[in-house]
Amino acid sequence: MDYTAEERAYLWLCACTKTEYRTRVALLRAAPSPAALLAEAETYFPAAGAEKSFTPSRERREKEADLFLAGLEKKGYFAVTLISEDYPDALKNISLPPLVLYGAGRRELLGARKFCVVGSRLTPPWAGKLGRTIAETLSRRFAIVTGLAEGGDLAAIEGGMSEGNLICVLPCGLDECYPAAHVSVKEKVRKKGLLLSELLPWETAKKYSFHARNRILAGLSEGVLVLSAAEKSGTLITANCALDFGRDVFALPHNAGARQGEGCNELIKRGAYLATKAEDILSVYGMEAEKEARMELSSDEGRVLDALKDYGELHPAQIAEKTGLKIFEVTAVLSSLEIKGAVVRGGGNHYNAI
Amino acid sequence: MIAKIVCYALNGLEGVPVEVETDVNKGMPSYDMVGLPDTAVKESKERVRSALKNSGLLFPMNRITINFAPADIKKEGASFDLAVAVSLLKASEQLVGCDTDYVFIGELALSGDVRPIAGLLPILISAKAHGFTRFIVPSGNAREAQYLGGAEIYPAATLTEVVRHLAGTQRIPMLETAMFVPHAGGRVSADLRFVKGQPLARRAIEIAVAGGHNVLMVGPPGTGKTMLARCLPTVMPDLTFEEALEITKIHSVAGVLGEEGIVTERPFRTPHHTATTVSMCGGGNHVVHPGEISLAHGGVLFLDELPEYKRSTLEALRQPLEDGKITVSRAGGTFTYPARFMLCASMNPCPCGNYGSAERTCICTPAEIRRYRKRISGPLLDRIDLQVEVDDIDYDDLTSNQMNESSEAVKERVEFARRVQRSRFEDYGIGTNAEMGEREINEFCPLSREGDDILRAAFERMHLSARARARIIKVSRTIADLDGSEEILAKHVAEAVSYRIYDDSIG
Repeated sequence: MDYTAEERAYLWLCACTKTEYRTRVALLRAAPSPAALLAEAETYFPAAGAEKSFTPSRERREKEADLFLAGLEKKGYFAVTLISEDYPDALKNISLPPLVLYGAGRRELLGARKFCVVGSRLTPPWAGKLGRTIAETLSRRFAIVTGLAEGGDLAAIEGGMSEGNLICVLPCGLDECYPAAHVSVKEKVRKKGLLLSELLPWETAKKYSFHARNRILAGLSEGVLVLSAAEKSGTLITANCALDFGRDVFALPHNAGARQGEGCNELIKRGAYLATKAEDILSVYGMEAEKEARMELSSDEGRVLDALKDYGELHPAQIAEKTGLKIFEVTAVLSSLEIKGAVVRGGGNHYNAI
Repeated sequence: MIAKIVCYALNGLEGVPVEVETDVNKGMPSYDMVGLPDTAVKESKERVRSALKNSGLLFPMNRITINFAPADIKKEGASFDLAVAVSLLKASEQLVGCDTDYVFIGELALSGDVRPIAGLLPILISAKAHGFTRFIVPSGNAREAQYLGGAEIYPAATLTEVVRHLAGTQRIPMLETAMFVPHAGGRVSADLRFVKGQPLARRAIEIAVAGGHNVLMVGPPGTGKTMLARCLPTVMPDLTFEEALEITKIHSVAGVLGEEGIVTERPFRTPHHTATTVSMCGGGNHVVHPGEISLAHGGVLFLDELPEYKRSTLEALRQPLEDGKITVSRAGGTFTYPARFMLCASMNPCPCGNYGSAERTCICTPAEIRRYRKRISGPLLDRIDLQVEVDDIDYDDLTSNQMNESSEAVKERVEFARRVQRSRFEDYGIGTNAEMGEREINEFCPLSREGDDILRAAFERMHLSARARARIIKVSRTIADLDGSEEILAKHVAEAVSYRIYDDSIG
């Protein structure tokens, strides 16, 4: 990966000095260019009150920068700085934009139109499956932006993975994986999509890094779809950031009283778009969804699906009662409907139509 | 004079003939036992001495040598007492002119009573095969012995009875051969009729039994998982005499045989989750005792709260699940016990038990749930063909009026499906669909195009393993058999797929 002298100096500032975000911004304002900062650190750093946070020899500073870049290169990572050409414009316009984004995977996705799909870790199965379908449709027009956690994030990942238009922003460095159990998911995303993080590759997730990560999710995207969120939920932070940054917010409607849906319903009350299918989102951006191929259903499948659509969540025994089929016939029909993606199994043998 | 008396030692499930040779010589009174007797056998000296005295017989005050031949196998336990006593009597010329051409088996009490022993039936079966036909056995083992048939068996209660019998003064009446009747105990308390609701789990159990598949029930605590499991033996086909004999042999060796003397019900074993690997698979210092999986041979091994079992214990089940037998090696030798059982396991969906419940909220984090489920390894889960969620109990009233079918009705369908399988596999040396190998699957389970489409879609959507695919096909075959269908139709495959709820995860 080639970096310009300015980018190199910028990266040196962010990776090799012991400065904080605020100091870095002050230093960048004070110096005519990042390269000048690297060359004449002795002049600019003490003025910004950071006299102890840099290496006092120019030669050694050059070496630090080279070492760091070589380290990135070796692991196959790239770095995008605020002054790089392909730094996403949308992200520049938020307050406190990340100065550097480290990435692994398809760099070109940075330039794509982006849409964020998030949900809490305890997303109910129906919302997960629905989110996956929506993400899949959206991923033909947008790069899907999401996190790496269970539940809603995973649904978005599964949906976005089919086209590879997928960006996962980590709450930790690229070397790390949070949650640790998703290492294989992380590797898949790296192969087919793009991993991003504003933290140095070896940094671990801290309590506050999730909050910071959520601002990037919202900042990157034109809009945010919230699949599920409890009343107090990290997912709502993303939604609130999106509102602050002037992005569109969409939410799935949930049953009144469902704990994992209170946040979504609250968002809708406050004026978020109500979304139940991908078209609801696409139409806001003036796009039309391709006509989905009509699902071919047998007569039994049609009857079961109708019952589910009429009555909402049902147990196979109830479906059997309503359709007059035998219970094990209902199980077989439900299973094939599930494979076709028309129904989803919740806990305790309950099924929903989607 | 030298006396030779035959008795039997037990080596695993096989009886080995042992000759007790006794020589009574003039000289300083002494008592030596040679031929690799263990402590319990050596202690027989004191039991025999007291038993003889208390039966009004004489313990010779001479130089006595007792030899157990062949000398190279280890003799364990107290079942040689009777033979030692009789041979002593004969050697000391207290049984002159008596016919002692019997196999003597039994332990002696100090009073001269003959006590029952563990493992009599396997000994009798082996001895009969070796050509012995006359036996004197403890009367306490009579119920077990009466099923042998084709042999003269005399149950003795005391040593005096034995002596009178041998002397011909008072014969012990010969044991009459009993006919084997399944369910002779008549103690069956479980019946599917008493299980409320649970239509899906009932169906899963029916399929599992029909095809010999293993089943996992997942559900909140207190929803009747254990009760469902207890019904499993009631829908399984009746024991045949050969099966009963084989199971009885194992139970006899383990000393857990009940009153009836022969096993008439399919075993239902429920080892607690604190069970050790040894108690599960079998073990012991010199002689290996059969473990729970062997005791469950021909029946059901029910593991309640599966994730609570020790990992090593569960992993030890993998090989017997495939082979239907277990080989345990110890210093005393290598023993193979049959262990073809049906595994039925139950577990909660998460540590708090409420995951997926409509009424109650689960308080577990995803990481906790993952850790909990990870305690069951993939290879073990792969061997469980049917995974079914048990409903929360509130659904009872919805369905109770129509679903209360009795075990008898289910059993009829199961036996029909088993008949279909037996005729299909006649030349293949297997009995059920679950035992099919790759060759049989190719031959007997061609999928229709639609069926294959469903399987392909499920394979991609649910990230199934290759083994899971073969298992689904086998279950489809069983469902088709229950349906009376020669072909495996799409609906059969679809239903089989619905029983793999735990494969559906990414990564």
